Formats: sequence, structure tokens, C-alpha cells
Amino acid sequence: MTRRVIPLALFLSLFVLQGFAQVDPGVRGGAAGAGGPLSSVAANNPVTILNFFNDGKARFQEIDSVSGTVAGEDGFGLGPRYNSRSCVACHAQPAVGGSAPATNPQVADATADGATNTVPSFITSTGPVREARFPFFFDPFGNPDPNRPNGGVEDLYTIVGRVDTPSGCNTSVIVQPRFADAVNTGNIIFRIPTPTFGSGLMENIDDATLLTNFNNQQNNNVGVHGTFNHNGNDGTISRFGWKAQNKSLEIFAGEAYNVEMGVSNELFTQERPLPGEDTVNGLAAACRVNPTPEDHTNFNTTAIGTLSDTVQFAMFMRLLAQPTPSTTVPGGSTSIANGRSLFSSIGCALCHTASLTTSPSRFTPSLGSATANLFSDLEIHHMGTGLNDNVSQGGAGGDQFRTAPLWGLGQRIFFLHDGRTKNLITAIVAHDSSGSEAQTVENNYDLLNSTQKQDLLNFLRSL
Amino acid sequence: MFRRTTQTILFLCILPIARAQDAPVRKLPTDVILVKGAVPSASDSATPLPEGGTVVRDVYRNDYFGLSYPLPSGWFEKYKGPPPSDSGAYSLTLLRPGPDYKGASRGTVLITAQDMFFGPMSGHSAKETIERTKERLQADYRVEHEPSQVTVANHIFTRFDYNSPVAQLHWYVLATEVRCHTIRFVFTSPDPALLESLIKEMDAMKLASNVDTAPVCVPDYAQGANVTYKVDPVFGDQKYNAIPVRLIIGKMGEVEHVHVISAFPAQARSITDALLQWRFKPYVRDGQPVAVETGMLFGAVTRPKPYVTASSKPSSN
Repeated sequence: MTRRVIPLALFLSLFVLQGFAQVDPGVRGGAAGAGGPLSSVAANNPVTILNFFNDGKARFQEIDSVSGTVAGEDGFGLGPRYNSRSCVACHAQPAVGGSAPATNPQVADATADGATNTVPSFITSTGPVREARFPFFFDPFGNPDPNRPNGGVEDLYTIVGRVDTPSGCNTSVIVQPRFADAVNTGNIIFRIPTPTFGSGLMENIDDATLLTNFNNQQNNNVGVHGTFNHNGNDGTISRFGWKAQNKSLEIFAGEAYNVEMGVSNELFTQERPLPGEDTVNGLAAACRVNPTPEDHTNFNTTAIGTLSDTVQFAMFMRLLAQPTPSTTVPGGSTSIANGRSLFSSIGCALCHTASLTTSPSRFTPSLGSATANLFSDLEIHHMGTGLNDNVSQGGAGGDQFRTAPLWGLGQRIFFLHDGRTKNLITAIVAHDSSGSEAQTVENNYDLLNSTQKQDLLNFLRSL
Repeated sequence: MFRRTTQTILFLCILPIARAQDAPVRKLPTDVILVKGAVPSASDSATPLPEGGTVVRDVYRNDYFGLSYPLPSGWFEKYKGPPPSDSGAYSLTLLRPGPDYKGASRGTVLITAQDMFFGPMSGHSAKETIERTKERLQADYRVEHEPSQVTVANHIFTRFDYNSPVAQLHWYVLATEVRCHTIRFVFTSPDPALLESLIKEMDAMKLASNVDTAPVCVPDYAQGANVTYKVDPVFGDQKYNAIPVRLIIGKMGEVEHVHVISAFPAQARSITDALLQWRFKPYVRDGQPVAVETGMLFGAVTRPKPYVTASSKPSSN
């Protein structure tokens, strides 16, 4: 009898405790609230634009092989180094164009088509898709040297052993980076894919709009004072990537094609060696298999086929509609509405600006003079020691990150730049660390009661 | 010959590996920002800086502002704030209840400073910045008490109270001017009684008077005919960042101190090296040359026009 009473009491006490503690509702179920085209694109305005969207989407899903001759892998130019084999491999959740999926494709990528790579310890089948960077170069003794900043992407895999790789490209001329050493010395950081829904709207927000929003943020009572990253060539505000290091979707697409999949293109014209490798001998000739650029304008065809993959990747992302939030799930409409007010009241919306208006667009009506509900100011902010990754990109230092746009957050699986958590509460708490601009706002969150916190979490998962 | 070369290369390749096996693994420190981006720096380590405040024995001390603020009992500074912004804004400290705090209510005290030489509201008084806060208060908030002047610790402050009905949080803000900066104390809590008691405790605070020993604040002094000799800084790659710089000019017109508020290290070095060579006309007040504190803005200035009100006027000394 006593035995039965104790577990029951334990269960009841846990239940009571649970009743008063807020919880992350988790990934919002139901249909994907994203992945479709902008409404004017769906209406094929201007005529043929829907074809461009569909073609871009198809190319976005194409798997690349080295030669383009492997069955079912029609894309051309993979490697010699790569992180994955298609755009959609990383941008998949909850629909094509999104963020990291529940099952990490990088595990299978390691040995696809005969490749002989070792899966690094930080890549797991249920973990996030990850890009690895070494903040510092190693010294001759195998230790990271803080006087030699690196920060470039260390591609996980090589094409060695694949059925379409020439035998001369083998481990005597190309090897995987020293991931075990990097993990042992703490000289490694990760980035996960950013979702691309609504990115055409982001691209079409004028600098003046961003500066006005910046100006309106000043004089606040929570200690938030961001700045912008800038494009090195024309000095305008850059906005894509975790540190807002990329100016446009075309640059974003071209760089990713080159860095993540190893496909040279018209924007990034050479095969990419690793950081360090690029200052010594470069990539071995035996592994530079294809003529460059591997992706290019196709002169021997007509219409859409003329365009390069890079241009069409960018066009697909540009024409994707922004995510549609739920008004009722999770927690019901009252809770979500309350959470939205709380989000603004405690200061989250200062950086996570609810909406910004785009400029007139020559692409399609839906991109022009539209309200982009991105929940970001597109500024970079100091996020402190807790989130610092010691990687500088453009004007962003080691702990400065672009305010992550929160649209579509309800259906994302992994949070923060490195995908360290699936739990929204953990992600919020991580905003509070030494040197972070978000300390005060995170403390305002701490001052809320459990019901209020739950409303806030419900609101975020409704996005 | 070829054999020997190959052997030598092999030896050189193996050597680091062998040494690496003997040497202990050196892990990168965690919780340290090693690649900092734009940060503050100064031409000397003796002159107090606005961002140089620390909590020592339950008192927040800031020598630049002559500020000595006893922490509420059981409260602490858990983390340091971010570096100053490129618009001259500082989060001096954020205080919160610590593990030993016995009170029933919780809250925070944020102390900030805004350099009056820079930013969209440059040249505006503490009163004007508070009025601006009130003007721009979002619909989420309700005004509790209109901005009004109060005396705390023998200093005139502008106080403004507001709250958020949905968050059930109250913000009581007190702002004043000290040495070319507006300083704010922002008290936040669900409990107004706690906030009132925290404000009452502010009377134990010490805050320097503007007129004592600090240099005279003169906006835009480092330009035009006031400059008698200058050396231009040499910049490397363009980073498009605004670089606010605070200068202290001695009685004889020499540069005594350069405080680069936000810049990449190479930019800061170049600006500091150049400015230390500048010479100015001595600033004369009441017939006597006096030291001057002023600001200069280098780098890109891509900010909208400053906020202007009908009552706005340039700050005077």
C-alpha cells in the first residue's frame, strides 16, 4: 500500500510542479506554414515568373555528383570538398527552403557513392546539419594559436573514393580536416543553415528603412545598441548569414554552392581549398576534376535553361513567401496574442523588430512595398561570451550576430547559430551572458510569471 | 639527392607531430571573446574611462563619472555589459538579486550612459532624452508619472515612471547629466514598492559635480580654426563603421588623452597615433585657459539626421 502511495504522491507533485512551470511547446505540428511562392508569383505575375520559381525549386533539390553522371544525381561539380550534396539537404524543415531537418543527411553524405569519409564526432543522425569552422589556425605543436585567426569553413568531407572521382584524387593528396584535434582543443565552432523563407522581402528592404528603425531604437532603457555589417564593395548594409555578412541572395547562393557543395560558379570561380591550404599549394590538381566554373550560364540552350544554378537558387529563395504564423496553435489565440504583447513589452521586439516595409520591386508585386514580418532589425549585436564564436566576418566581431529573424520559428527544430539546443527556453536564456546586449531584456523575461512566460513561448512557436 | 630531400621533408613533417604528442594539449579558453571586432581603447591606462566602472565590495564605482553607488543588499553584478556602441552608448552595469537575496520581490537596476557628443540625440539634455522616451512610448506601456525633476544624492534628475499592464512590470527611470554624458538609472520590477525603496537608497550614492575637476565639455571643439596642427590618421581597409573618439585637450592646447570609443584595433592605433600629435588653441574661460573634453567622429557616418525638437538647443558648458 505504502509502495503504491509514494509513486502516486511523486507523480502528483511532479504534475503540480509541471502545472506551474512553463515549457517549450515544441515544433508546431500540422501543415508547413512555409515553402510556397509569394502570392503574385503563384498568380504568375509577371507571366512566366512561376516557371522560374518552380525551376529554381527543382534545382534547389537536385543532388550533385562530381561528374553529373551518377544515376539520380544530375547536378554537376560536387567537391573536391563538401558539407552536403544538395541545397535541400540543409534547407528542408518544414519545407524546401527551410532549416536543418530532423534527420541529418550529413551522416549518409560521408559515404555516398563510395566516398570514404569519417563522420566527425559532432555530426549525428539526430543532430543539426552543421558547418564547422576553426576560429584559429593550429601552431606546429597542434595547439590553436590565438594570434592567427582563421574562421573559414572546414568542409567535412572529400570526394575521395567516390565512383566518379578519378583514382589520382586520393588520401595522399587530400584529407579531411583535423576535426578530432579541433574538438580536443576547443578550436571549433558550428553554424547551422538559416531558413530562406521570405528572403526576397529581406533583400528588398532599403538601407534607409533599416537606418530609421535603428534610429528609433536609440534612447532605449534596456541597453541595446546594435550596428550594421556592410558589404565591402559598395558599403551598403549586408543582411544574409548569421553575421549579416552577405549582401544579396545571389552572393549567398554562390558562396554556399562553392563552400558547402564545392561547386565553382560565376560568383566564386575557383574550387575552394581549406583555410591554410589556400595559402600554400592550393588544391591538388588530381582533385580539381572539372573545368571551371562548374556552374555557369548555359549558352547552348534557351529560356530558363540558360540560367545558371546559382541564379536560379537565388531566384527560388527570393520568390519564397514569408512563413504564415498560426493564430491558434499552440495555446490558443488569447495566449498567443498575450505572448505577442509580452514580447514587445519586455523589449525583445527592440532587436527582433516585428516588421519592416520593403521598397517597390521590379521582380513581382508581392515583393514591393510589402510588410515583411521578419522579427529582426538585421543589425548585428553583441551577444556576449555565452554565444561568442570568435569568428569575425566583415564588420562583425566574435560575439556579434545578426538578430536572427524569427519568422517560421514555430516549425524550426534547432536553435541558435550552432544548433546547440532544440529547446526554446534554453535559447532565450542563452541571451544572458557577459558582454551581451540582451542581458536586461532576458532579465525582464525572468521577471515574468510562469503563465506570462508560457504565453510568450506559445507566441514564438506560433510564428 | 631526391631521396635526401624527400627524407628531409618527411622528417620536417613528422617533427611537429612527434612534438605535439609530447606537449600537453592547450585548450582554448571558454567564456573569453578573443576576436573582438570594434572595441574601445585609450591612449593611456591612467585616465579613467566611462566604461571602466567595477563593483568592489558591494559598491559600483566609476571614477570617470565620480560615481559611487552602493548595491542594494543581496544584489550583485552577474555579468559585465557589452562594449560601448558606435553611437557612444554604454551599459555601465546591470545589477540583480544574487543567491543570498532575501527580499520577496525581484527586479533589476541598469545604469547606462550616453555620450552627448554622439548619437541621434547628441547635444540633448537628460530631460530632453527622457521626454523623447515618453513621446515614443509604445502602446504596450502606460505612463505612471510624467517626467519631472527630482533631487537625488544632491543631484538634479529627471524622473519618469511607466509600466506595462500585460507584463505587469514597472520601469522607473532617473536621468541626469555628468561630464558630457547623460546617465540613466533604470529600475525594473513587478513591485513598485521595491522600486521606490531602491530609489530611496540612491541617496547613499555619490556622483561628481560637473564643475569640480573635470575638463569643460565643448562639443565640436576639435575643428576649424581651433586646430593649429594636425596629422591625418592613415586607414587601411574601409569597414564602414562609425568611430566616435573622445579627446581631452590640455590647457596649453596639447592632446592629453584619446579615448577611441568603438573601433577595430588598427583603426584605433592609427587615430590615436595621429591625434596625439594634434595641437589646438587653448580654450579660455573667465580669462583662464582650461582643459577641454570634446568628441570627434571618424569613419563612416551613415546615420539619419539627429532628433530635433522645438525646445532642442545645443548643450552649453
